[in-house]
Amino acid sequence: MTLISQYSLKNNRKIIPILLIIFFILFLSSLMIGRFKISISILGTILSDIITGDTLSPDFVSQKLVFLWIRLPRCIMAVLVGMCLSVSGGVYQAMFRNPLVSPAVAMTISIARLISIKPIIVMVLAGMVVLSFFNALLMILKYFSDPYDELPSIVFWIMGSLTRVTWHDVFITLAVTSCGLLVFILLRFRLNILSLGDIQAKSLGINPFISRVILIVLSSFMVAMVVATCGQIAWLGLIIPHMARTLVGPKHETMIPVTALLGAIFMLAADVLARSMTTAEIPVGIITAITGAPIFCFLLYKNRGSGWL
Amino acid sequence: MALKTIKIQCKSLGFRYGKKDILHNISHKFSSGSFCAILGRNGSGKTTFLHCLNGIHKPYTGEILINGNNSQFMSQREIAKSISIVAQEYMEIFPFKVLDVVVMGRAPFIGMTSVPDKKDYQLAINALTTLNAAKLANLNFNKISGGERQIAMLASALVQTNEIILLDEPTNHLDFNKKYLFLFKIKQLCKIKNTCVIASMHDPNLAMLFADSVILLNNGKIIDQGPTKKIMTKHNIDTLYKTDSAQIDISLTKKIFMPQSVLK
Repeated sequence: MTLISQYSLKNNRKIIPILLIIFFILFLSSLMIGRFKISISILGTILSDIITGDTLSPDFVSQKLVFLWIRLPRCIMAVLVGMCLSVSGGVYQAMFRNPLVSPAVAMTISIARLISIKPIIVMVLAGMVVLSFFNALLMILKYFSDPYDELPSIVFWIMGSLTRVTWHDVFITLAVTSCGLLVFILLRFRLNILSLGDIQAKSLGINPFISRVILIVLSSFMVAMVVATCGQIAWLGLIIPHMARTLVGPKHETMIPVTALLGAIFMLAADVLARSMTTAEIPVGIITAITGAPIFCFLLYKNRGSGWL
Repeated sequence: MALKTIKIQCKSLGFRYGKKDILHNISHKFSSGSFCAILGRNGSGKTTFLHCLNGIHKPYTGEILINGNNSQFMSQREIAKSISIVAQEYMEIFPFKVLDVVVMGRAPFIGMTSVPDKKDYQLAINALTTLNAAKLANLNFNKISGGERQIAMLASALVQTNEIILLDEPTNHLDFNKKYLFLFKIKQLCKIKNTCVIASMHDPNLAMLFADSVILLNNGKIIDQGPTKKIMTKHNIDTLYKTDSAQIDISLTKKIFMPQSVLK
């Protein structure tokens, strides 16, 4: 009899600690980098002050204010946004069995899908149609908006940015993201089965409808949350799950945590670039879009012939 | 010799897709340790029938008894614990390893929020080993050949349950030799594990070689059903496939059918 020990059951789980180290280094450095530089010693003082509850010497007051009310919530938000968009993108892809489904398209598909069950390619096309329809509505909105006041804010929202993040936003997003992540991690094996398609899931005793409703509602809620606070941040939901699959394979047991970590790392890096590349800040959505496209091409090239892309 | 019991019984089963009648008044008893073949032309309702049996479709009229329990009152999970299916074809999936696909057969026995453990993987490996396919375990499911896929899916079905196995046109992607080997394996299972096998098939000659009983399905209605030897006659083949066939005797017990037109 063949023994189980001859097979590698855990798909490269070694990568998780490495990603965690990268994540922590990046998080710490993103706390320091920006228009308002906070050196590592000052960061240490501020952090120890927060922990011990001491008051700072007056020279550090402004640093502390910037750190506590702007830098820290922003960095945490970057982490949350990264996790949220990439993990929900990964879940969408598993449920629609389609590598091109990103949250933006899938949200519309899911509504159509709930009404009646149709071939998935029709759903994707329907998603594109609805998307372009809403784009048209957005254009009408832009056309009629006040060019001095409303138009810039619409444009900035479309570009996606983490500039106006408050602690309030952070807490709500944190609640939604952790709730979603928890459910996705609990249902990790079911996601594998759902990714085989409806008939297969049913023959394996799983009601695809209920699982799908739970997963779609949750991931749509996560995406909606992020879009409402930070605007459209492109590509994340599409490329990060692909990256994770390339690294550790498609099993959601490892793929979901790796996607979350990669998403957080990617978003933190994009946000650091956004606020340090030029003197004026670049909307982070532009950074993700510019870097996302070539990365996606690379992944397409790398995964060619794996039979799926 | 294991005891033969009735595993699935359908009583005047009917199924509708919208307003279109797909299956009409089908009654049959499937017993353990026997291989039943369902023959019919394309679109005669073979696949739909199989899908009704394992609860993917809900019958419009009639009822299905699985081990004596009405399937209407069983959850999908309960049904899946005693019926597994090897589907006709698989859409491309994520690049899972074969072992990961096989272990998914354990799904009905695994809690909603748990993952397969070592024991489940061992079962999956055992199933692959019994089918002489242990070497496939670590390969990408999308990259193996159609025949290997079929074997992998059979392993997955076995891991799920060997009580009742449904096969939807199992020999579709197999080459000449593999067809026979695959069905031979199934037949062995049938005898050794006392499995109830129900297979929809295209080739009456294969059905004649392996099946214990046959159901002839035409436009969702049963033309004839019963033991293979009794049912597989020139007359029945002609009516079923709307052709004029010739019976060729190979030996005293074995014969094959072929359309008259190719013999001329």
